[in-house]
Amino acid sequence: MSENINNEALDEALQNEVPHDKTVRLMSPTRMVVRRFFRSKLSVVGLVMVIGLFIFSFLGPVFYTQWGEIELDESGKTEYSVSSTTYEVNGQEYTVRQTTEKYLKDNFLAPPSAEHILGTDNEGYDVFVRLMYGGRISLIVSFIAVFLITILGVILGGIAGYFGGAIDNAIMRLCDVLICLPGIPILLIISTILDASGIDAKYRIYLLMIYLTFISWPGTARLVRGQILSLREQEYMVAAEAMGFSTSRKIFKHLVPNVMPQLIVQMSLSLGSMILYEATLSYLNLGVKAPYAAWGTMINIISTNQDVLQNHLNVWVPAGICIVIAVLGFNFIGDGLRDALDPKARR
Amino acid sequence: MALEKNLEQFDTDAILEVRNLKKSFPLKKTLTGKVTQELVAVDDVSFTLKRGETLGIVGESGCGKTTLGRTILKLHKSNGGQIIFDGKDITNLKSKDMREIRKKMQIIFQDPYSSLPPRSTVGGILSEPVEVHNIVPKSEIKSYVLDLMEKCGLRDYYYERYPHEFSGGQRQRICIARALSVNPELVICDEPVSALDVSIQAQIINLLKKLQQEMNLTYVFISHDLSVVKFISDKIGVMYLGSMVEFGTKEDIFSNPLHPYTQALFSAIPQPDPDVKMNRIILKGDIPSPANPPKGCRFHTRCPKAMDICKEEIPEYKDYGNGHCAACHLLG
Amino acid sequence: MSNNYLSGKEIRAIAKENKKVMKRLEAQKYRKCDESEYITEMKESSNILEIDELHTYFFTEQGVVKAVNGVSFDVPQNKTVGVVGESGCGKSVTSMSVMRLLQGPTGQIYSGEIRFKSKDKDGTEKVFDIAKMPMADIHKIRGNQIAMIFQEPMTSLNPVFTIGQQLDEVTFIHNPEASKEDAKAKSIEMLNLVGIAMPERVYNAFPHELSGGMRQRVMISMALASNPRLIIADEPTTALDVTIQAQILDLLRDLKTKIDGSIMLITHDLGIIAEMADYVIVMYAGRVIEKGTVDEIFHNPLHPYTIGLQKSKPTLNSDSETLFNIPGNVPNPINMPAYCYFKERCSKCTKKCSGEYPEMIQVSPTHFVACHLYDEE
Repeated sequence: MSENINNEALDEALQNEVPHDKTVRLMSPTRMVVRRFFRSKLSVVGLVMVIGLFIFSFLGPVFYTQWGEIELDESGKTEYSVSSTTYEVNGQEYTVRQTTEKYLKDNFLAPPSAEHILGTDNEGYDVFVRLMYGGRISLIVSFIAVFLITILGVILGGIAGYFGGAIDNAIMRLCDVLICLPGIPILLIISTILDASGIDAKYRIYLLMIYLTFISWPGTARLVRGQILSLREQEYMVAAEAMGFSTSRKIFKHLVPNVMPQLIVQMSLSLGSMILYEATLSYLNLGVKAPYAAWGTMINIISTNQDVLQNHLNVWVPAGICIVIAVLGFNFIGDGLRDALDPKARR
Repeated sequence: MALEKNLEQFDTDAILEVRNLKKSFPLKKTLTGKVTQELVAVDDVSFTLKRGETLGIVGESGCGKTTLGRTILKLHKSNGGQIIFDGKDITNLKSKDMREIRKKMQIIFQDPYSSLPPRSTVGGILSEPVEVHNIVPKSEIKSYVLDLMEKCGLRDYYYERYPHEFSGGQRQRICIARALSVNPELVICDEPVSALDVSIQAQIINLLKKLQQEMNLTYVFISHDLSVVKFISDKIGVMYLGSMVEFGTKEDIFSNPLHPYTQALFSAIPQPDPDVKMNRIILKGDIPSPANPPKGCRFHTRCPKAMDICKEEIPEYKDYGNGHCAACHLLG
Repeated sequence: MSNNYLSGKEIRAIAKENKKVMKRLEAQKYRKCDESEYITEMKESSNILEIDELHTYFFTEQGVVKAVNGVSFDVPQNKTVGVVGESGCGKSVTSMSVMRLLQGPTGQIYSGEIRFKSKDKDGTEKVFDIAKMPMADIHKIRGNQIAMIFQEPMTSLNPVFTIGQQLDEVTFIHNPEASKEDAKAKSIEMLNLVGIAMPERVYNAFPHELSGGMRQRVMISMALASNPRLIIADEPTTALDVTIQAQILDLLRDLKTKIDGSIMLITHDLGIIAEMADYVIVMYAGRVIEKGTVDEIFHNPLHPYTIGLQKSKPTLNSDSETLFNIPGNVPNPINMPAYCYFKERCSKCTKKCSGEYPEMIQVSPTHFVACHLYDEE
């Protein structure tokens, strides 16, 4: 009897109660993340840097069509060289100065001017235009690589973390082996093989990126595995098990979405490192080959040409600045995202 | 063959029968995988539960009550004994066949914060099991879920919200609604009110009782709090270090506790009345580690009435009339 | 359904407002000032602690959470005061305010006084207003005059030091000239006091080697090591098993007679309050709704919340089939209404309850209640 009274009282109270929680407004989860991201000045700076680079690389060539990527400035230039010879005749010194005027077909190493915003390089290509095309290559290549790394890492890390036991052991030992491999020496070997097999210079960078994916996925896989190991012990996963959900549903509908925040952070951080990798490869002449442009290739000029290193900063410094901006930008975004997505970092 | 014979003895009234259930976790393994040291979490536990009844399981931390609940649901693999659910031996069922049975037995957890997936809405959480198990046709899922939410005291506009927007009591209601969404027959409640405030505790216990009547549910109610268990149970089992030390109807256990541990447990609960000064039995020492339980009767290290025989022999778990079982040398 | 989320504009407005207040309060917290600025007088000389209209706020991104919203109560000398309430009622925040352990810059004492009667080593008594003390001077009272026992014995001890090292440290802070042997002797004495059977062994043990009950005993001995005048015990037994809880409560009751100090016991368990406390403070949603002696609160509860709380607690002696329950939930602490916070859950509410928040009404010399039911007409 008392029970009925009680429940009725409860029901009635629930009906009449002004729901206080309806008048209180909270911050939506998305808004909370966005707000925390934008609260940090560095992440805003990073975002501006990266967006700027994207506009520069992808929209730049559309509007600035004065020169093409592999278009030589054939307006020609005249090079003067002065040589002097000293003779001694009867104790008197005579100096003969000889000026040679040489007409060259390509306008190379031109100083910055209205025609060439950042001048031309030692071949006569427009530096500014090549900077844009180089950015395209760098950004596309690193996005593809990071995408592949993430897919591979999530699948293998997810399987290792969820099933555990022998499968986990096998995948993790494979990771250990791959992490032990010396990256650069193997890259050199592969590059030589690619040279020998005569693959088009335009595509070889993609092949190298696949290789990079292959040696870089263990990082992501370890992250995913660690996350899944801890998530698997959460009670909502036990509840999912008790509900009789299938294994694939448990992994892909319950576990993976909960790993996403960490994955996004990891992805933005590895974008930066992939750009560096690409630049390194191109600098070592393993990546994009002339005449195609990449930021690394553009800096590579200084390795063979002392004169450019000392006297023509306009040829190689801008590419270096671009690399720094890209890497810094992605890292700032990654750090910002990590703080924004991590509920524990709430201050 | 032994199995068939056993099933013949099965009580048709009973929904769940547990026979000599044992569960141990390996602590140390040799390189070849041989277990050298193990933690016996549930040791030789047996009981029968009738349809519509509530069994309360009481015990302190490390007594194996949570493991018992999860082993019954086969969330842990048992190491011995039998679990008979609805006339069917499910002890060695394959996980694929188990999936069908899962919807008949559900679980509610202690921590309402970690037991709800953080990235789904309440509606999503509640409709997923309905969808997976085809409880109602697709077009009716939403109205079915809203109906269920109302039953559990949740407002309809909660459907679009995320778990983090709710307080503990409301989350526990969501957990209950999720467990009931598949129309189970048996629900294991693993300390469902321990993490809640007193006023909310009462709401949840009353809700569970109301739902039990409406849906003819059978509960296994696990708790460390005897006074909570008293309100909801028909039968009570007291566990200590993995074994059942006393089992009986609520009336028997409360009016005539046989085991010294049950008696101590009763007297340890602080009473909200400054005038009640109980003759408290204060147990000495700590609960021994379940990885290294004492020899003989497991309670003898803390028992105020321990005798010499208690250190040597494990007391027999015997029926002392009317299904009131206990394991103690004192009872002869 | 309209969405219940804040818009970007509102969030920015909240953040701007918060920043201003937080900056001012932080500056005050870390200012340098003379002792005279925070010396006051006790209202009642027999009290050791007087909390007067304390407001402690948390400036969150979603609005100001008034966790403690005008709390006043006294802790008399050599008495145990129990503070009881549900989670989120501000009982722990009150104790954190007394200890000045609030996490800045979000958590701040907004206004109010916390008067504490401190005693120097030479025996002179001074009354400090803890709420106005700059952080640099807090060490004068925190840890030696006021000690705290926390809920989680698992995490309140540093896992890389032995129990002995951690106990000795307390002695050294209190008395820097003490020799190593003295400190050890004192630590062992403290371990003995809290009923640890083999103090020598525990002295050399690491925290992970001890059980929860033992750790809580060690925590209590650490709190006692500096002879505090006030011990704040914040849910000291919540994380422990019932039989272990009985041991610890027994120990605390025993110690109460042995030490010369007051205890402020914070818990959600009315049973513990009934056993331990002399005075009871009932809190709800950041306010004190009823206070009185333990007999008054348990035998003559006045506030509907106190009554409901006692009825909804299952006991072993009662025989009714179901539990009484208070409907609804604790209101969200942001944007609290102007009327009585309990109105929406109260079965006895009248028209008057939609008006102003009720004043504290004195019913007997020691019994106060904040409810319109007892307004004098």
